[in-house]
Amino acid sequence: MYGATVEPIEDAQTDDNRLREFEARIARGEKIEPGDWMPDEYRRQLIRMISQHAHSEIVGMLPEGTFITRAPTLRRKLILLAKVQDEGGHGQYLYHAAETLGATREDMLDALLSGRAKYSSIFNYPALSWADMGAIGWLVDGAAILNQTMLAKCSYGPYARAMKRICAEENFHKRQGQDIVITLATGTPEQKVMMQDAINRWWWPTLMMFGPHDTDSPNSAVLIRWGIKTKTNDELRQMFINQTVPELLALGLTIPDPDLRYDEESGNWRIGPINWDEFWQVVKGNGPCNQERMDARRRAHEDGRWVREALAAYAEKQSGT
Amino acid sequence: MDTQWPRFIVFLQERANAPHQYVGSVHAPDADMALMNARDVFVRRPACLSLWVVPASAVLMKTAEELARETITYNREDDGAKEPYFVFYKLLEKGTLIHSGEVDAGSPAVALAAAYATDDGQTAKAIWVFPAKAARCSTSDDIQPMFAPARAKTHFRDQAEFHITTTMQQIKRGQDDDE
Ligand SMILES: [Fe+2]
Ligand SMILES: [Fe+2]
Repeated sequence: MYGATVEPIEDAQTDDNRLREFEARIARGEKIEPGDWMPDEYRRQLIRMISQHAHSEIVGMLPEGTFITRAPTLRRKLILLAKVQDEGGHGQYLYHAAETLGATREDMLDALLSGRAKYSSIFNYPALSWADMGAIGWLVDGAAILNQTMLAKCSYGPYARAMKRICAEENFHKRQGQDIVITLATGTPEQKVMMQDAINRWWWPTLMMFGPHDTDSPNSAVLIRWGIKTKTNDELRQMFINQTVPELLALGLTIPDPDLRYDEESGNWRIGPINWDEFWQVVKGNGPCNQERMDARRRAHEDGRWVREALAAYAEKQSGT
Repeated sequence: MDTQWPRFIVFLQERANAPHQYVGSVHAPDADMALMNARDVFVRRPACLSLWVVPASAVLMKTAEELARETITYNREDDGAKEPYFVFYKLLEKGTLIHSGEVDAGSPAVALAAAYATDDGQTAKAIWVFPAKAARCSTSDDIQPMFAPARAKTHFRDQAEFHITTTMQQIKRGQDDDE
């Protein structure tokens, strides 16, 4: 018997009162921790977001992973290896954050392998040349940083802390990408063509990463109200466009958007229409690499089976059962 | 059905004299493997001197809000043989749980009551306690083989190795000169 017991005090708190107190805590900038009262919808939205985010980190290893053996120098190879390894670690940080809300890692893994889970549409596009490593690092990781910097301030403690750790590492990902882009864009004519081709292919899918326009994004209002997000999809997308366009132009690269123009009045770069049909096709599983990504993920899981079995057998032997 | 390996909470000490901090968790069939997994997931880059892994089931976790809703009743007769418990507090709103010391107690609830009764315990946003014997801790012999490799990797893993801002400034300045 325990020397002390911890027991709930009978209280007549209604869920309305609890919700008011919860929202007041968020308004005061307090972090919600596992164990604290939270609305079911807050928990549901966080599990949805965090698990999708975790899956994206895991699948995100695949497009770049194929170039580790084809890196042009040993230094570039070590850098790429480190980056891909980081993404695997980010996935693990995030699965942990989702577990603190009651999700299990086994379920999440199963959802990914069975194809039930969603992950970022961007990773269903192919990486075709070494220049894509530059475009992915600068554009894709650059876009992810804006989203993740916002989430590092989110109201749920474990998610915010995971994001803080991740952001510190993402800056290295973006910079190594920029380094590749600068090298190729200021290199030989062939390298410039290669770099431009990669930008042409990754530009629009990167803009789609921020998700549907605010007018078509039903979860936005509640996510902002509960301090999970502090900026909308369109706000983040505009920030990305404003910071990226002038840099790419300065390198003599062009943006594959005939409607792109600078709006003096607002100080914003205005883009042409985004092809949302393409976005939804990719989300529904019909992107260029959806099948390939899932196959690679399942193969990796199956190929690792003997390692898991060996570890389990060893642990059992050690414990003498 | 839950068939996954047990979950181990991971605590990491970045440098000498800094407390161990809660950083996340890993799954593993045993504590030794949990320590290896924790090293792979949490020590790719950051400095690390020591890692602790503790089965999640051994950690009694309470937030301030939970403690305010609950009463802790202390029964001296039921108190078992005393053993050391590690105490962790979350003191800063934006911070994580930080190791603050040990208490001797006969059960997790008694350890929690003792941790809650201190000044830090009264202001903490969350308190965790677990028996010291439940933790698998890396030793000073592990520093070289487990953590030193991450430190030597900065030349290709550190954002400071890439001078993007200055390079872009030079490129832009070069273009201005041409005009
Ligand atoms: Fe990442
Ligand atoms: Fe990244």
